[in-house]
Parts: sequence; structure tokens; C-alpha cells
Amino acid sequence: MEFRPRNYIAEEESHALPRSRADDHPLFAPSTSSNHHKVDVVDHESHDFFDPLRSPAANAVALNKDVEDGESSSTVSSEAAAEVSVKEWTTFKRFLMQKFPVSKMVSVSLMPDVIIKTGKANVKDSTTKHLKELDDPANFAEEDVKVITGQEYVSRLHELKDEIKRAWTAEDRVTSLKLSIKVARLLMDTSVLQFYPTLFVLVAEIMDMLGNLVWERIKQKAEFGEDGSRLCYLSENFKEINICVEAKETCNNWFCKVGSVRELLPRIYLELAILPCWRFLNDRPANSLQRLVLMTRGLADPLASVYCRLYMAHCARKLPSCDTGHLITSINDIKILLTRVLSTKEAAHGKSVDNRRLLVSLMEPTIEYIMKCIFKDASQRQVGTVLMELGLGRNQVELFGSNPCVSVVLHHLLKELPTEIVGSYAVEILHLIEYSNDKSYDQCLNYRLLGFRLCERRPTLDILNAAVDRIIQVVTLLDELDDFLKVVDPYVDIILQNQMDNHLNTILEGISERACKKEIVDNDVVGLQSILMKILSHFKDLEDVFALGHFLEILDVMYGSSRISIDMQILNMATRNGCINDPTTVQLLFEICQALHDGIDFVNSKGDDYQAARLISRFVLMVDYGAEMERHLTFLVECRGAFGSINELKETLVHSSNHLATKALKDGRKHLSFVKSCIAFSEVTIPSISDHIRQLNLYIETSEVALLAGLISHSDGLVDSAISCLQSVDLINGSLTPVDVDGMVTSIQKLCSLLVIVPGNPELGFTHTLKSILSLITSQSWITSKIKIRISCAIVSLSATLSQNKLPYNADLEILSNDLLFYGDSSYVQELLSFSEHVLQNLVEIIEQEPSGAARGSMALEACNCIAASFKINHNIQPVCSKLIETAKSNLSTNDAYLQSTIKVLDKHLPTSGISASTTI
Amino acid sequence: MSTVEIKLSRSNRIYRPSEPLQGKIVIKSSSSIFHYGIHLTVNGSANLQVRGGSAGVVESLYGVIKPIKILKKSQEIRTSGRIGSGTTEVPFSMNLKQHGEENLERFYETFHGADINIQYLVTVDIMRGYLHKSLSATVEFIVETDKADLLERPVSPEMVVFYITQDTQRHPLLPELKSGGFKVTGKMSTQCSLLDPIAGELTVEASSVPIHSIDIHLLRMESILLGEKIISETSLIQTTQVADGDVCRNMTLPIYVILPRLLTCPTVLAGPFSVEFKVSVVISFRSELSKLHKKSDPTTPRLWLAMETLPLELVRTN
Repeated sequence: MEFRPRNYIAEEESHALPRSRADDHPLFAPSTSSNHHKVDVVDHESHDFFDPLRSPAANAVALNKDVEDGESSSTVSSEAAAEVSVKEWTTFKRFLMQKFPVSKMVSVSLMPDVIIKTGKANVKDSTTKHLKELDDPANFAEEDVKVITGQEYVSRLHELKDEIKRAWTAEDRVTSLKLSIKVARLLMDTSVLQFYPTLFVLVAEIMDMLGNLVWERIKQKAEFGEDGSRLCYLSENFKEINICVEAKETCNNWFCKVGSVRELLPRIYLELAILPCWRFLNDRPANSLQRLVLMTRGLADPLASVYCRLYMAHCARKLPSCDTGHLITSINDIKILLTRVLSTKEAAHGKSVDNRRLLVSLMEPTIEYIMKCIFKDASQRQVGTVLMELGLGRNQVELFGSNPCVSVVLHHLLKELPTEIVGSYAVEILHLIEYSNDKSYDQCLNYRLLGFRLCERRPTLDILNAAVDRIIQVVTLLDELDDFLKVVDPYVDIILQNQMDNHLNTILEGISERACKKEIVDNDVVGLQSILMKILSHFKDLEDVFALGHFLEILDVMYGSSRISIDMQILNMATRNGCINDPTTVQLLFEICQALHDGIDFVNSKGDDYQAARLISRFVLMVDYGAEMERHLTFLVECRGAFGSINELKETLVHSSNHLATKALKDGRKHLSFVKSCIAFSEVTIPSISDHIRQLNLYIETSEVALLAGLISHSDGLVDSAISCLQSVDLINGSLTPVDVDGMVTSIQKLCSLLVIVPGNPELGFTHTLKSILSLITSQSWITSKIKIRISCAIVSLSATLSQNKLPYNADLEILSNDLLFYGDSSYVQELLSFSEHVLQNLVEIIEQEPSGAARGSMALEACNCIAASFKINHNIQPVCSKLIETAKSNLSTNDAYLQSTIKVLDKHLPTSGISASTTI
Repeated sequence: MSTVEIKLSRSNRIYRPSEPLQGKIVIKSSSSIFHYGIHLTVNGSANLQVRGGSAGVVESLYGVIKPIKILKKSQEIRTSGRIGSGTTEVPFSMNLKQHGEENLERFYETFHGADINIQYLVTVDIMRGYLHKSLSATVEFIVETDKADLLERPVSPEMVVFYITQDTQRHPLLPELKSGGFKVTGKMSTQCSLLDPIAGELTVEASSVPIHSIDIHLLRMESILLGEKIISETSLIQTTQVADGDVCRNMTLPIYVILPRLLTCPTVLAGPFSVEFKVSVVISFRSELSKLHKKSDPTTPRLWLAMETLPLELVRTN
């Protein structure tokens, strides 16, 4: 046996691809001439297909055509508007139900019989009974409070809805109406409080259904005669004059029937349900709304009253055109109601503060909806009128006078006001908020809302300055941190964007003063998070943020997940712009990392915390002390101490210290002791990393660095550690994934390539390390036969390389590598040879023992290639090769590309063309 | 089997005396029938009845007083002949009030009250000889005053102002009500077209006791001349709530009461009888006592009630 001599330099030259100069860069922009050509093509294509966004002219023509077609565009838009309002109503209903979910039990003081009975058989019965009771509602009063589940109540209402529908289809419209009246009457009982919104939604649905049925019936009567002949076709905007007498008669009957309901609340609801039907009787159906809104004043119960107004706002949208007068009256009346609710002595009706709060919160959505309706497509001039009618403005110029407003109403008004108005009247609105301070709504939230509205569209700077000045005055008077944060939050944006630095300082000082005064609670932390986050995202440079007074103090009082988010944001910023040089910043960030580290349980960490670990590692990696390498190493030591539980970080630490060592080496050998410290640091750190593959790679890396520094004994030690690390894989990890195993093999191969330049140790024998690796093959259970082949091949290749007179690469000129150390030493080559022979034998045996044919074939080919590359093919080797090729041939198809190329390689290296001839037999 | 039915030309069955009553007689028969003529009769009368009210025991024994005839007319639509099997429609038209013809009585408007019933009926009779039962059907139609006879002057838009306080009440009140006091003011139309709602408004200016409800009661007063004596009875037609609960003070609440058809008619002051209307505003205050008297007549004065009754003249207008 004999190793094949190699001339690496010559081989590299002969294998290198021929190079030629390119005229231009393939990624450069194409020349102008070709560009022009392209545009032509695009233009041409645009004629072929209709792009609605690119041909406005064509579109406009189509639109005009629509208008000319008679069905005027206003029809289309009114239909669309109706659709929008239906959608909005549906969303609103869902919101109501979600905001006030049905509690388990509903205690109903006046349990109406509609709800109690379940059978359908006694509907008629109870109807008559009820009609009697109708005359004397006091009948109910003494009944005991009964409790049923909310779900039962809801399902009973659904049943009723079906019953009404069924009666209608059975032409029994009287029953439909009677049942509907009973359903509407349910809303008279507001003792259910929390359940009321749900009840309202369900009843409103039934009312709407009845309204639609009546509308359709009368429309049918108007359009078709008794015998089914068509009388006319009612367009979307029909007039009263088009309606025949019979239809009007029926319609009038409905209003008479509804008008004869004794109780006020169901009477209003039912008239609202059929409100659109007024259109059959007169051309100004909206007139009825003015009356209805005044009638609603007769409902003394605040809850019943506001929900009735809500239903009115909803029904009014079904009319083709409608002014906002009734809505404004509604709001004004609600204001009076609220003032009354707020001023009632708590003891008077046994209503506690909580109860009142609940009441206001139940009323709030109705105000919200009505406000929305008022400001829907309102022009600026209309807004002025609205504000005057709401009793706020004095005239079209002074939109906000000095009359206070109920704060919950003000809140929703502020929400809906057009941005321009908010912008131009910011200071006046601020004053208004100031004197509209009552218990119906948190005043701070109104200040806050104004801030958000101002952010939408910036007013002029002088208004902004005045507003912010005022807000700062307001907040300085607030004692509670929570209130302070609530108000300040949106203004921080404004302050930051307009560089009002003095205000920012005042705010930060205010926060820190209040935060330090007493223990802060979770709520405050969330508020703080929002503000700090804004500051962080505003500044580009972290140092500017740290320079802000009180920023760090405030950061210190934070805790929990908010603290973590802020810390992470800071680290994100810090690691965004390259190296971190400033020692103070490093120290601050280090402390932030510590806080972050303490806040997260890395031992049981899940996905989110991975982010934090990554950020800390990145920070450590980005720190650069420049020439002060000693200090840098100390920093790394500190980090290791502080963030011991983050695995990823330890890897970073090793990389950093290795990087530090190589940097020191570039300065020459004067830092050798420092380099030693670095390597020692790495060496000590690596074992604490739990992942063996990482450990292995880091050992190899560190060993490379040691070798670079000429520290051969260190390097040897590290290689040993790497191998012992490999040996312990089995002991710790029960099962390895295929990816892990692959990585492991790659690392072993890398180790082998490192060993090329590690000087051999004559005391232990030149092949000592190789033997250790080889022994792994047999001892480790995770190593499959395929891997065994790959590692063995690597070892064989390594042996062959080591035997060369000139190695392919060297570590450093100062370190003598094996080619120089053992140049012409026959015992050295001999030892390598005999070792290789031993490996070869193993190799062949392993292949033979492989049970799977296909695997055996490819393994044989791999081995064969390796042998052909490493040895001279002589009479010793040739039989081995032939045997392997035989194995491959018997297991793989003869067309197999790998097999073919392997045979080719063998043929090339064969002194006499024996193999292919002999094997073809 | 044979049936007969009258179908009037108007679905609401409202006719004015000067207008012809039109419609068709619908005869459904499985076989052809012979008849001795189809006769149509219209009948209008005011039926008076005395019971309860201010009538004494003796008077109430008399019970029904002889009805006052307003109209009785008969007409032969078809002379004797044969009607084929299947559905046969015989149109008719009949003048209620012939020009120049002397009427028995004024055409009072249809009204269904407790003691007074003014009713107009149209009957068809098909005589079929001895062996067969004659076929007949009756339908009520509604008479409204002729447009020509309507008041020339428009309904006065004037309203009567009322105010209700503890001092305007002639019945005893709860002590706390008497001492604490209350004041409800308002105005209401006292002359009203039957087609329009009763309009008005009221305001609770003050009330020491929380209000339970404010209702508008529509009342009718039927009077019958019996011998030398006028017997009147007042009864409740309809109640309409305008305030539910203790409403805000000084907020104007509208009064809007749609007049129920058939149960109302123009105010009639005839010799033998009269039909008049009244509106009463009743304020009921929250009181434990009221719960003990659940089924009492809402118009009866009670300790917890305050009321004001105004006359209401109902008129027919265009």
C-alpha cells in the first residue's frame, strides 16, 4: 500500500475554471434603448385588457350613462346608504350584546306571561288574558320577583319572533300585532339592568321584522289591485300621491291600531317600527319624528328612555331624507336625564354609586350611536348649527361657549366632531372639558380623547402650543399617576413631534414625582409603557433618550411584561446601529439586560423569551471597547456571570472572546498572555453550554484560534475536549434528530480538516487523535453504518493528506506543521499507512455487514472514491476497489451516474486498465 | 247548496247619504234556482237603551226604548226569474237620500256606544216560494256626514289652557300630596276633527310625590231623554298614557291621541238623545294605597289621583 502523492498547487491550477472579464455588471440597470422599448410594450398591452384603475375616462362615460338611464344616481346612493346603515346597525347590535353579555340569571320583577309560558297552544288564551291586564297594569305590581336564566329569556324571545311571523303568514295579522305589543312591553321593565341591552336588541329585531312586514303589505296593496293586477310601480322615492286609497286606508288603520296602545313605551316602539309607512300617507314622514321624540320625554326611566331614543335614531335612518333635529332634541333630553341621574341623592332610590356607574355605562352606547348619526356627513356649517342647538355654541363663530356639557355626552361629541373643528377649536374644547366635570365620565378620558383627536390632523402651531400649555397646567394638578398618564399619553406624540422639549421634561418629571410617591400598580405600568414606547420610537439615538431627565428613573419603577417590552425595545434600538462604544451606555444597557434577564424565566422559556435572549446576545456581540480589550474581556466575564441561564448567550460569549483573541493577535505577539486569557475564558465557558454540537463547534473554533496564536498545547487540549465532548453525546442526549447527526458528522469532518495543520505529538503517537475519533465510531450508538463510512473516509483522507510532502494549507509560518516536522520520516508515513490499512479493513467490513442493498451500494461507491483519491492503485488496493465496485454493481442499477463516474475515476487512476475489463465479465 | 253575500264597492264600507250605495250581490249555487225576485233593503236606526248610569231602577226596567228610525228603503233589483248554477254577480246601486225626498230623521253618523247604537244595514232577500227557504244576507255599512253638510268654519285651532294643582281637586287627596303640592299645566284642543288626533301638551312643573303615570282618558257621555228625564251615562273609550313614571320637571310632553273609529262620531245633540265626548287628564301619584285598589275604575277620584276633565267637541271635516 502506498499513499498517492499529491501536488495541491498544481491540482488547484488545473482544476480552476477559466476566467474572463465581463463587459458589464449583470445587475446594473439596462441601457436606455432597451428601456424605451419596454415602455412601448406596456402601452400596447394596456389596450388589450380593461384596467378599471387606469382608464378613468372610460369609467366616467359609463357613469354618465347610468345617470341618463333614468334610475338616477341618487337612487343608487340611497340604496347604498341604506345598506351601510343596515350594516352599521348590525355591527352596533353585536357590539351591544358583547359589551353587556347575558348574565346567567335574570331576575324580573314583573314577569310577563309572554315569557313564562312555553306552549304555543295557549297563545290566544293568554292574549285575551293579557288584554284584560292591559286595562289594569297594576295587576302585575305585587307579583314576586322571579328568576329565570338569561338564555331561557332569549330563546323565548326567539320563539315569539317565530310565532309573530307564523301568525302573519297565516293572515292572522291581529295576533301578530298583539304579540308584538307584548314584546315591546317587555322593554318597560328596566330592573334587569345588565340584561337590558340584550333585551333591547332582541325586541328591536322583532319590531324591525314587524315593520318590514307591514311595509311590504302596504306596498303590495299600493302596487297591485285586489285581483293581482299591477296598479303602479313604486320607485325608491315615490310620493304620497301615487298611493291608492285602499293602501292608504290600510296604512291608516295600522297607525290607528298602534295609536290605541295604552302604554307609552310600546306605543312609541310600534310607531317607530312602522315609521317608514308614514311615507304612504304624507310626503314629510320626518315630521312624526319630532312628535315621537317629544313623546319619549314621557318615559321617566332613564334607561328605557335612552334605548327608545336609540331605536328612534335607528328607525329614522330608514327614511329617505331626514334632518338631525330630532337627534339633537334626543341628546338635549338625554343631557337633562343624565343630570337628573347624577344629582339624585344616592340614598333616595337605594341606588349605590356602583349602580349609578352601571346605569351610565348602559346608557353610553346609545349616546354614542345617536352622536354618530348626528355627525354623519355633516358639513362644517351644519356642525356649527348642531353645536348651537346642543347649547354649546353661541353662534357660528363661537362654537364653544361657556355652558358646560354632561361629560359622557361631551365625550361622544368629541369623538364625532370633524377633525378640522377639533383642530381649530382645541383650546375652547379644552375649556369646555374643564368645566364639564361630573360623575358620568372620567374627565381625564376626555382630555385624553382630545389629544388623540388632535393627533389625527395637526392644527396650526400656535393653537397646538396653547393647547399643550393648557394641558400641562391641567396635569400638574392631577395627583394620581393613573390620571396623569391617561391625560398625557396622546400629548406625548404632539410634544415629541413638535420638539416641545421643555414640556417633555415637565411630563417626565411629573411622572417620576408621582411614580415615586407611592407603589405603582399594573394599570400605571401599562400607561408608562405606552409613553416610554413613544419616546423610544421617536428618538433615533438611544443616547438622546438616556439623556432625558427622569427617563431611567421611570424605567426603574416599571415591572412585569411592560418592563420587558420596553427593555426589549431599548435593546433593539441599541443593537440597530452597529457597535456600542460608549462605556456609560454599555453599563446602562447591561443593567437593562439584567432587568430583562431577571424578568424572564429563561429556564422554562418559550418562543417570546427567545426574542429577549437573542437581543441580549446581540447586545453582547455589538459591544466594542476598541483598544481596551482587557476591559472587553472583563465585560464578557461579567456577562457570563449575569446571564448564566441563557444558552445562546454563552455561545456568543465564546465567539466574542475568540474574536477578541484574533484581534489581539493582529497586533503581533505582544498580547500573548491576553490571548491566553481569552482562550482560557472560552475553554471554561464552553462546557456550560448544554448543546453538544455547539460545544463541539466552539471547541474547534477555539482550538483554531489557539493554533493561530501558536499555543499548540492549548490547541491539543481543545481538540481532546472536542473529542471527549463527542464521546459524551450518547450519555446525555438519548435521541438525536437526523439534523443533529448531520451537523455532528460535518463537525467531525471539520475537525479532521483542522487536524491537517495541528502538529503531531510524537510522544503519544502521530495517529493518537485519529485513533480517538475512530474509536468513537464503534462506541457510539447514534453512529449508523452510513456515518461510520463517512467518518472513516474522512480519516483516510486525512491520513493521506498528512503523508504528503507539502500540506495543502498551514496555520502560521511560525508553527511547524507535520510536513516540515516529519519531512521524509518513513516511520511517520509507515504509521499513517498501517493505521489507514486498519481503517480500510473496518470500512470493508462495515459495508459488508450493511443489510440494505441500496445503502450498501452507495456506501461502497463512497469508500471507493475515497480510496482512489488517497492511495496509489496497486495490487494491494486494486482488489479492494474491485470488490467494492462489485458490491455497488450488484446493488445499484448499471446506469447509476455515481457508479459510472466512480468507474471512470478508477479507470483514470489505474496504471493498467484491469478493473473495468475484469468486472465486465 | 246556495249562498248569498253582499259585497260593497268600498272596502272601508263608508258612504255618505248623498252617495249611492253600490256593490254587488254574489250568489253561489250548485244548481240553478228559481226565485220570485231579489230585494234589497237598507235600514238605518238609532237604538237607545237605558241601563245603569243615572237611570233609576224603574227606568232600567223598561230597558230598550223604541228605536228611532232614520232610514228604511227597499228596492227590487231583479224581478222573478232563474239564476244559473255557479257564481252569479248582481250589481246594485241604491240612493240613500233622494233629492227632495223627505227623510224620517237626520242621517246621524254610525256610532256604537254603550247605550246608543246608530247603525245602518243593507239586506238582500231572495224569495224562493213555499218549498224553499229564502236566501238572505245582511251587511253593515258606515255612514258619514255629507261633505256638503260639513261645517264651513275650520276647526278652531285654539286650545284650552288647564292647570292641575292640589287646590283644583274637589276630592280628598293623600295628605303628603295636599301638603307638598304639585302643579301640572298644559293646553289641549277642545274642538277636534275626527280625522285628526287630539293635540296638546302638558308640563309637570312640580310634584312633591313622585308621579306614577299620567294618562289621557277619552270619555263619551250618552244621554237619552226618557219621559221628562235625561238619563246620562259616561263611559271610558280609550286610555292613552303620556307619562310613564316620575318624569323630568318642566319638560313639555306632547298629548297626541288618535281617535278610535266607530267608537267616536261627531258630537250629536239630537232631541231624544245626545252623544258627547270629554277628555280627562289623570295624574296618578306613586302610592302604596294604589296597589290595594288594582281593579278600580281609573276615572273614579281617588286619594292618589288628580284629574282635570275638559269637554271635547268632535266634528267631521273634509
